[in-house]
Amino acid sequence: MTDSRNLPTIDSLSGADREIVETGLKRGATRREVMTWLMASGATIAAAGSIVSSAKTALAATPKKGGKLKFASDLHGPSDTLDPGLNTSTIDYSRGRSVYNSLTQINDDLSTRPELAEEYSANPDNTEWTFKLRKGVKFHDGSNFTADDVIYTMSRHYGEKSTSKAKSLVADVKEWKKVDSHTVKAIMKGPNADLPVILGTPHFKIIKDGTTEFQKANGTGPYKMTEFNPGVRSICVRNEHYWRDGGNVDLIEVTAITDPVARLSALLSGDIDLMQGLNPKAIKKVESTPGVGIWSVASGAYFGICAMTNTSPGNNRDFVLALQHIQRRKKIVKSILKGQGTVGNDHPINIAYGADHCSELAQRTHDLDKAKFHLKKSGITSAELNVAEVAPGMTDICLLAQREAGKIGLDLKIKKVPNDGYWGAVWMKTPLNVVTWNMRPTANVMMNLAFAPDAPWNDTLWKNERLGKLLVESRGVKDAAKRHEMYCEMQKIISVGSDDHPPSGMVIPAHRNYVDAKSDKVEGIGRMPLGSLGGYEWPEFAWRTDV
Amino acid sequence: MQRMVIQRILIGLVTLWVVSVLVFIMTSLLPGDVASIVLGQAATPETLAAYRAANGLDQPLIFQYFGWLANMVTGDLGVSKAGGAKIYDLIAGRLGNTMFLAGLVALISVPLSVALGLLAAMYPGTWIDRSLTFGTLALISVPDFFIATFAVLILAVQLGWLPAIASVAPENTFWQMARGIAMPLIVLVIVVAAQMIRMTRAGILNVMNSPYIEMAILKGVRRKRIILRHAFFNTIGPIVNVIALNLAYLVSGVVIVETIFAYPGLAKLMIDGVQTRDLPLVQACAMIFCGTYVVLIIMADVAAILANPRLRNPK
Repeated sequence: MTDSRNLPTIDSLSGADREIVETGLKRGATRREVMTWLMASGATIAAAGSIVSSAKTALAATPKKGGKLKFASDLHGPSDTLDPGLNTSTIDYSRGRSVYNSLTQINDDLSTRPELAEEYSANPDNTEWTFKLRKGVKFHDGSNFTADDVIYTMSRHYGEKSTSKAKSLVADVKEWKKVDSHTVKAIMKGPNADLPVILGTPHFKIIKDGTTEFQKANGTGPYKMTEFNPGVRSICVRNEHYWRDGGNVDLIEVTAITDPVARLSALLSGDIDLMQGLNPKAIKKVESTPGVGIWSVASGAYFGICAMTNTSPGNNRDFVLALQHIQRRKKIVKSILKGQGTVGNDHPINIAYGADHCSELAQRTHDLDKAKFHLKKSGITSAELNVAEVAPGMTDICLLAQREAGKIGLDLKIKKVPNDGYWGAVWMKTPLNVVTWNMRPTANVMMNLAFAPDAPWNDTLWKNERLGKLLVESRGVKDAAKRHEMYCEMQKIISVGSDDHPPSGMVIPAHRNYVDAKSDKVEGIGRMPLGSLGGYEWPEFAWRTDV
Repeated sequence: MQRMVIQRILIGLVTLWVVSVLVFIMTSLLPGDVASIVLGQAATPETLAAYRAANGLDQPLIFQYFGWLANMVTGDLGVSKAGGAKIYDLIAGRLGNTMFLAGLVALISVPLSVALGLLAAMYPGTWIDRSLTFGTLALISVPDFFIATFAVLILAVQLGWLPAIASVAPENTFWQMARGIAMPLIVLVIVVAAQMIRMTRAGILNVMNSPYIEMAILKGVRRKRIILRHAFFNTIGPIVNVIALNLAYLVSGVVIVETIFAYPGLAKLMIDGVQTRDLPLVQACAMIFCGTYVVLIIMADVAAILANPRLRNPK
């Protein structure tokens, strides 16, 4: 287990210590006993816990079959859906991962591996992708998986009647073509090297040709759904005819416990095995309780304060600079996120995006003198910020900004608004508001969604044609150095701007990890950074150590 | 009396209709509609239009309302605009859960609180009365989420006696069911009993000042007999009304307890419906809640009449 905060693992112990821990565990010493030994030799609780967990993982790497697994997400309701195109929340994605498959599967490092597509490749200029489909795969109703199912699934993501939430991700696919019964082709409008990773995201799960009703799920996945009760729970049992060795537990129950304290209590008392969304304030409690642990994965998900560029005060470049310089980025990560995050640099691409992150760009820091200078230049003395708790910590970040704003003479009023209806009525509609974005599979997708000049979700209605051009051009670039240079320029345009083009108006003080919690009896949770509990990939791979 | 009951039922139906109009207007006034909430951050003008067209949300509100009303009268509750599930399926299981919990709570709390209220009234000023008064006042003042969270902390997390969440799955055994429902049951009994005990005690002591009680005292009747034979029957009117209101609360108002114990009941369903602006769902829940109030209050009035000879045989 490599924790994002670099907690020690079993590998970091010396040979002799390592043997003591491993032998102890093999002989059946409890977690608490081993932790006591380690703490006696000076390790902290967190470090000792991390060492024991990693040792256990190393000892028991072969998944066991059997047992039941109960997962509680944070939100559910009558709008829970098994329609992949309308999937919204962790609970939908987790159910989708249990019953369906994608064409491709995303690895922890955001590369892809084959899933229902056995092989996939592009023509030399990345304008045509060919997917060879796996043969002998059956849907839960017994029918065969063929190219028609892929064509039908993909057809739901474009066209006038499409309600797909991922429509924009595949907007540059001109057409899906069936070549033969087990080969399909995607003809692109322009070069795009990222199509396989996009198709690995939850909305592109493959459904049976002709499916229009989603009260039952007919997929090819490792589990069959036997009960679906929106807003209450779902039950899945292992698909004995699954096409590969997957699906370790016999039964998965998926529910949600809306109240964060109740959800945590349920985990602590053993009523659930996995929980989504651990409030940063509860991290300490989980780490100090034997039998449970946190599961934190560094990601590019971010908090943002949006200063709309089409109106005052966001159209004033100095005001935005003042707002950016009052952010206490390190303190936000340390105190509000309890270390489970990374500082932001007012653009969306952090280190979680790997090579596409621009480390050359200077980090913006807390600088009240600069902030005061820019505020004075802007001539603005008060502003109103609309805040909903769109992700845990958002309100605290804004309250911290309010306090800092007071120090430079800016009266930043915080108007708290409810979460429901926020995206329709407040976001992108009021001059100053907040946003959160989950991490996207590539830097290009992320910037294309929220910053491209024609993006429907351009948070600040900011238009920069140069960025739009770079986004399209960079998709076809294969030379790594050239690509990095282009991505760096894009991040600079968003964060700093140029003399004649103002930056985006986004204040991005921090990126948050996905922080969840699990029982120590559950292993096999991955670290794919695109969503909770390893990018919702756990249903196929999780297994119990106590069966 | 028959006339009164029929009259009440007719008024009840009018109330239901007025409530349905009000709920419809109020929910429509909230910012955003079901399409913009379901599509959330990912909404675009095209997908919004497509979603509205696919779910009949592009019609004028007035048509949507009368369409709903026409279906409702024929017993068709429609489908959820947010997830596509049949409203009947969403409600049926939860209505059962809510009634099961409310019924059990009533079964325990009503006899318990009437008995304790009588006990307190029988011996006013004694330590029994004082401790009951103190206890009930303290419990009325503590909000239910506090009692619930506290109970979870002690009984589930610390002692591990009861599960932290109240699961009532069909495959559960009787014992699992009993353990699962124990905690919300305890919390709700505490919450509703306190108020009913106070009302019973106050009602009886109020009647104790009437001239006919004085007469009974002068006749030399024992206090216990005065209360059980003379005072109690004359207090039934106000007591059953308090009981009715508490029972209606158990059906419609226990959203906090449902949330804390993740108990799938109706109150939480309605909140979910309001949050997603899912009009047919909100309407269906509102009708059930309003109907419950109407029925319980009619029953309370009938009980009050039956218990009171002067109302039973009007001149």
